Amino acid sequence: MATIVQIDPTQQLDPFKSVKKIPTHEFFTSGHRTCQGCESALVMKMMVKAAGPRTIVLGSTGCMYVANTTYYSTSWVVPWMHTQLGSSGSAALGAAAGLKAQMRKGKMKQEPINVIAFCGDGGGADMGLGAISATMTHPDYNLLILLYDNESYANTDIQLSGSTPWGANTTFSTPGSVKRIMHHRWKKNMAGLMAVGHPTCRYVATICMSYGLHGMNSIRKALTIGGPTFIHSLDPCPKGWDYDPIQSHELGELAVQCGIWPLYEVEDGKLRLTGRTQQIADGKIPRKPVRDYLLRQGRFAHFTNDDLDYFQSKIDQMWTKWLIPGVIPFEKDLAADNPPA
Amino acid sequence: MGKLYAVEIVYRGIFQKKLATNISRAIVLAAHLDGKPGISFGRYGDSPERNGIPAKNFAIVATDEQTLQEGMAKYEPKEVDITISVDDTLCKGVESWAWYGLQPINKLTKPGGTLIVTSMEPAEKLIEMAHNRETPYNLAIVKGSRSFSGLWVYKDDHTDVRVLGAIAKVMPELVSLDAMKKTILQEWKDPVKVASAEKSYNRVTKALVQPGQGNPETPYQFELPKWHEMGEGVAIPCIPVGKTVEDPVTHVLGGIRPDRNPTFKKFSTRTMRPVVNFETCIKCTLCWLQCPDTCFDVTPEGLYDANMEACCGCGVCEAVCPVDKCVTMVAETEFADNGSQWETWRKDSTGYLQWLNQKIESRPERSHGFRFKGQYQEQVGEMLQIAQES
Repeated sequence: MATIVQIDPTQQLDPFKSVKKIPTHEFFTSGHRTCQGCESALVMKMMVKAAGPRTIVLGSTGCMYVANTTYYSTSWVVPWMHTQLGSSGSAALGAAAGLKAQMRKGKMKQEPINVIAFCGDGGGADMGLGAISATMTHPDYNLLILLYDNESYANTDIQLSGSTPWGANTTFSTPGSVKRIMHHRWKKNMAGLMAVGHPTCRYVATICMSYGLHGMNSIRKALTIGGPTFIHSLDPCPKGWDYDPIQSHELGELAVQCGIWPLYEVEDGKLRLTGRTQQIADGKIPRKPVRDYLLRQGRFAHFTNDDLDYFQSKIDQMWTKWLIPGVIPFEKDLAADNPPA
Repeated sequence: MGKLYAVEIVYRGIFQKKLATNISRAIVLAAHLDGKPGISFGRYGDSPERNGIPAKNFAIVATDEQTLQEGMAKYEPKEVDITISVDDTLCKGVESWAWYGLQPINKLTKPGGTLIVTSMEPAEKLIEMAHNRETPYNLAIVKGSRSFSGLWVYKDDHTDVRVLGAIAKVMPELVSLDAMKKTILQEWKDPVKVASAEKSYNRVTKALVQPGQGNPETPYQFELPKWHEMGEGVAIPCIPVGKTVEDPVTHVLGGIRPDRNPTFKKFSTRTMRPVVNFETCIKCTLCWLQCPDTCFDVTPEGLYDANMEACCGCGVCEAVCPVDKCVTMVAETEFADNGSQWETWRKDSTGYLQWLNQKIESRPERSHGFRFKGQYQEQVGEMLQIAQES
């Protein structure tokens, strides 16, 4: 029986063997108006560096739209288009389908062109979730959705999002003298959600650009595999997390090393822990205590020892009790959850 | 018609947001006590702020309500009696993220008005950093290092009240010292802060800046597209990929200097800049790869030269560099130009290394926001000591 899904060939992007093999050309350049030490801008730079020149980038509203393309100016070397806050999924699907149709009708040269849509955690994990989910169910088009997650609506001055971790200080959850913890929700498990719920999505990965080579190779793999693919990147944000920008790189490393941000990929249904996370899981390096990460950020400066212990217990739970540690949060025996008062 | 007073506070976005708000708010509250109405506000175009990118707050005060209304009918003041720069590196110029080109720090300061700067530098150095102009103005220095914190944790090192004390000295007709002291006590309920303000009032130093004194460069600027030149739908050309770099000595071509957005340069965003020791560099690529601003040009021999048009001074390059003192962040006040360090080193490596070591030695302790819990408590003691001694 002939298969109904007809997918165009993709660019064959082999992994970069080492940092020294990374090409020197830039496709997202200087002159954007982001903060000092903006890791999301770094994600943009590495994302298109990994994808190469034959790439179309679509961006939903967020820092990476507002700060990068202000009033008739741009930092993009490759074609870029703005799309609405919740529409990164629809824009990616539309662009990929449009290219496919143009090539089928002979209006464009037949060639594999990467389509990447990026969205922030507000645009992707909150508002655009429906559109992204729908896009991930279409097997016929080659596209990548990259969620750059700085754990708040950073562009509009740090309102909390579905990605903000427990207890963090944001404009919507300022600790007071009577009540200390004003944010009681835990971060949405976006990559897990995409992988578990979308059998047609052929590749899901979590990355952090403090591990640049790993992150870029994940992007190259997603674009090579083809079909709808999804990558979730954690980006330290000096503005919203309140820290000296010199720490941007180190905080990304710490998020992984403390086990808060597990790196993994799911390729055609097969899960593999990657990078430092794999080394922690294999017992090759110890998992650092979360306080090393939390106490370096002003957004957690109101934490007491009880809060730190509670946060640690939730991360321990993720590593020891989850059905698949760090990925699938099902447990056979549910323990009582007792957050500090 | 009454008299209108305007004060602008130029500050580093996010790092000094709370500090600037404290200052402009207290000016207006103190003026109220002196019977003058006023309004304090942040410039609309600076929001949302970005770490380090210059932003402004204004305090507008008038002798009567009608004059205030007239003053507030403008989008923002066209001239101010006092310009306050709470980071001395802003004296080199202000490029806000929402408009194009570099604005001299003293551009809005009225002839005979005052520029108040918080700095540890001598007056001559600050005058050299600011652009020259045709009318004289005063420079007042509140001695102290840069006060940086973030959105959530405020470093209460008394910089706010010390600037307020200086304002009462510089312009008593705007606000009296008495009113300022009362306001500070009301706002902070801390008599030590009142004492800090009064010490600053007594110790602020002043210098007259003559016409023509200062940086002679024409500030970087260009034409904005007009509304009638904009087409339907907005499409603009992408940035070209870049060109090879030429060695100034051997004229060998190689490497790459990426083209950059010509309408926004980051040199007014930084408080520190990296200096690079090209002789100890092991070409590990990390500074170049991890720079969020793509500021490193790749030289023909595979070294990485931080381009000072694009560097915003975050310091990530220093953090990732595995070699001791190969990439080092140095205060922006130590530099007078934005030239290529690599070219200087190629032409005269011995001279360059001497220059480099001198820059590294001048490096003050980094104070660029929150690094660990408890840090501000440690630093505030030191800052207060400077305040008491100065």
